[in-house]
Amino acid sequence: MKQAVILAAGEGQRLRPFTVNRPKVMLSIADKPILQYVVESLAQNGIRNIVLVVGYRKDQVFDYMGSGNQFGVNITYVTQGKQLGTAHALAQAKGVTENEFLVLPGDNLIQADTIAQFVTLEPEAVLVKRVDNPGGYGVVTMDGGMVTEIVEKPEEARSNIVSTGIYSFTTEIFNFIEPELNIPDVVNNMITHGHHIDARETEGTWLDVIYPWDILDLNDAILRQIQASSGGTIEAGVSLKDQVSVGKNTVIRSNSYVAGPVVIGDGCDIGPNVCILPATSIGNNVVISPFTHIKNSVIGDDVNISAGCIIQDSVIDKGCIIKGHFMACSGQDEIKVNHEHYLVSMGAMLGEGCSLGNNVVAQPGVIVGNYTQVQSLKLISGRLPDRSMVF
Amino acid sequence: MCGIVGYIGERQAQPILLNCLHRLEYRGYDSCGIAVLGGAVEIYKDAVRVKALANTAPSLNGIVGIGHTRWATHGEPSKANAHPHCDCTGKIAVVHNGVINNFQKLRQQLASEGHNFVSETDTEVIPHLIEKYYDGDLAKAVEAALHELEGSYAIIALVSGESRLVVARKDGPLVIGVGDRENFIASDVPAMLDYTNRVIYLEDDDIAIVSPDNIEVRRHGVEVDRKEHKISWSVEDAQKAGYEHFMLKEIHEQPKVIRDTIAGYVSATEKGADLALLGDVGLEGMLILACGTSYHAALIGKYILEELVRVPVKAELASEFNYYGHTPVRSRAIVITQSGETADVIKTIRRMREAGCWVVAVTNVVGSTASRIADQIIYTRAGPEISVAATKSFIAQLMALYWLALPYSKIDIRKLDNLITGLRQLPGKVQQVLDNESAIAELARQLASCENVFFIGRGINFPVALEGALKLKEVSYIHAEGYAAGELKHGPFALLGSNTPVVAIVAQDNTYEPMLTNIKEVKARRSPVIAVVEEGDEVIGELVDSVITVPKVDAIFSPVVNTVALQLLAYYTAKHRGCPVDFPRNLAKSVTVE
Repeated sequence: MKQAVILAAGEGQRLRPFTVNRPKVMLSIADKPILQYVVESLAQNGIRNIVLVVGYRKDQVFDYMGSGNQFGVNITYVTQGKQLGTAHALAQAKGVTENEFLVLPGDNLIQADTIAQFVTLEPEAVLVKRVDNPGGYGVVTMDGGMVTEIVEKPEEARSNIVSTGIYSFTTEIFNFIEPELNIPDVVNNMITHGHHIDARETEGTWLDVIYPWDILDLNDAILRQIQASSGGTIEAGVSLKDQVSVGKNTVIRSNSYVAGPVVIGDGCDIGPNVCILPATSIGNNVVISPFTHIKNSVIGDDVNISAGCIIQDSVIDKGCIIKGHFMACSGQDEIKVNHEHYLVSMGAMLGEGCSLGNNVVAQPGVIVGNYTQVQSLKLISGRLPDRSMVF
Repeated sequence: MCGIVGYIGERQAQPILLNCLHRLEYRGYDSCGIAVLGGAVEIYKDAVRVKALANTAPSLNGIVGIGHTRWATHGEPSKANAHPHCDCTGKIAVVHNGVINNFQKLRQQLASEGHNFVSETDTEVIPHLIEKYYDGDLAKAVEAALHELEGSYAIIALVSGESRLVVARKDGPLVIGVGDRENFIASDVPAMLDYTNRVIYLEDDDIAIVSPDNIEVRRHGVEVDRKEHKISWSVEDAQKAGYEHFMLKEIHEQPKVIRDTIAGYVSATEKGADLALLGDVGLEGMLILACGTSYHAALIGKYILEELVRVPVKAELASEFNYYGHTPVRSRAIVITQSGETADVIKTIRRMREAGCWVVAVTNVVGSTASRIADQIIYTRAGPEISVAATKSFIAQLMALYWLALPYSKIDIRKLDNLITGLRQLPGKVQQVLDNESAIAELARQLASCENVFFIGRGINFPVALEGALKLKEVSYIHAEGYAAGELKHGPFALLGSNTPVVAIVAQDNTYEPMLTNIKEVKARRSPVIAVVEEGDEVIGELVDSVITVPKVDAIFSPVVNTVALQLLAYYTAKHRGCPVDFPRNLAKSVTVE
């Protein structure tokens, strides 16, 4: 197997505000977009010929992935004009594929060992995994290692084995794709027509992010594997404990305490006297002022956090300017997304470009839309749409 | 001004030459050609693009060769005028980038000695001169020939019977790419990155003899040592990566360019590096000299330095400055040149240094001529800019000017702190302009059907109007003019009507009120007005026909977001008109002629 088609066109609407300006595949986990983990896993398994099906905010994918040379692969881009389903997305790659190829979703985080066995199989096959919550996925029923049916989001799951969305196909599949259908439907169609679809199970990493708070789980899982490294300036009196990765041109100023696993990007200015606790990811060009405490959070590029803030279990998207004494403490809250309710333990989720005054307090579970402005001494809670103004 | 390439090694030369030429097309592309040395010298050339030449070329057998892609200066684009040019015997072939000023005299002289000329070019005298002096040693003959030339050149020569290439440079760029039992020569690095990332830059008056496994460099008769550099750009940097045009890709790279630039300067300051290059400027002030888009950066630099450092600054066009009877004496000057090879700017650097001035060069190309003859260099590190129209290099130049000014600021420390925070916000702000791209693309449709457009601005955004007009002109071929808003009524109003849209850049500074007045005056003449305004501006929407919204930034940074919006406007207008965005007609990327 030498080629893979990665479906990277989707929006990820339930992940707003974080998917207003980026496609789901570009969500950052431990300072790398999910798509990069998929591409790197393929490269590590010797698959270097990649077709990337893009659509929603494809410019974000172009800007980061480029021609793929940087990741050791060669990328051909194909555009899905309207997001009509996974089979429709795959259909865009017709004519660009080799005879055999893998198909992977670009928004599920995997690692090299997840697909190591799978890449050696003959098509057609699907990679499956046992999960605790099969109801949200495509449940696979099998008979002696062959798939009998894939049922998407069943009311009553017949087993807890689900499809990872990773398949190996031949160009035959293009004969079975109809524009409106999703790949599991296409697979069921193929089975009815006598095709044998192998099912193989993986024990490797396969993580999905559906709601904004899922970002914290993935961040934690991936950060456990990072290695310490430093490309920046560490002043005297700074303590780096465990695995801490510091990017180039970053300065960590005296008496700061960073307990890993933590990853910090390039060009940051942190401290003095800043406390960063596991498992935290900090992007590029971030400024953090003294006496700020950050724990188990994801901070995007270009963020400026002033003095004396407490940020726990939170995700702060790029470009936010946060003045002093911002409190985003962790707690439990019931959050409504679309028409479902979820009990979640977290701090605050801030979209990009927000501007917060001094002494703003965020109730646990608050989700703040992009470009929101909050005046000083305000309490924010619930869900704020993009461009809100809290005065 | 053109691109030249050479190859000598173990592989077939033709495909390699054509590939390198293709990468050099941004230097010129009205005609091209290759010469391959097999048993004899075989030449194939025509007044076409490189891809077209590659499709029609016969298979020329040989492992040594040279190639050329042309931007005409002497002689119209034609097959006869295309390079490579040969001597009477057809055994010597030469490609040349530059201008030979005394070629008329040489041509007459050579013709009277019996030489036959077939083209109108200045280049053709070179192979004939080499023929005149050739006595079995190509390097000696080339050296003798070069003595007679007045002007600029980067040349590669080959002769049937010798398995080597002789190259020389004077006022024209030339780089050698070092391979494994093969070597490459080209006008610049991106041409060779597919094959090697080890390069040797040649200096003026160098002559190099290049064989598959040896490079000998001589200067004024003496052998010299030229260091090998390793290039960290990848071929990817020079590819479109999903975007339809290099210009759009480079516009989208700007947030990253700004972020990388900030990180580099912050780190340099941390390590105690002396970024404070302005010395003790004082009331005599300083000069900033440049051409083209870089001149617009110079004009904005004037506002930045005067505002922050409070010294008088004069921005000058290098091409004009070079012909002033008297060189104004200053202790400090800044020159800005993206390529580092702009002929007018190189001349300026030499002139200023001779007059005792300390020259700081702001350039994007490591190892370029400007970087080697200036007293100090600031590299903008925007990566290679392939599109002929300058976009990210301009923004990177602005960033360099902000960083030059900051250590010398005489403004209040509170304002200074805010400015530095604001500077760090710029990557996100520029990305917001890019996120709004489809709205700008829609507006561009309106402009696409116009033949005349005015751009107006005031204060620090007056140069933005000039740059907006230049971008539109370059890529969409619409006659666009930038004006200081207050000047429109002193004549150009006569040109306004319902068919001449006006793009007004409206910043939230002390020029806001006068701009409103100017817009009303324009509307009274029935011209459609597109205003570039800061978000949250409620007033403007009522007065104008369309609005491009940019995010809120400090007034001193407004040129950054405003220019990016106008880059997109120019790009999409050109796209709607079906223009060849990356390679506009009659233009080339690096202007190495005066």
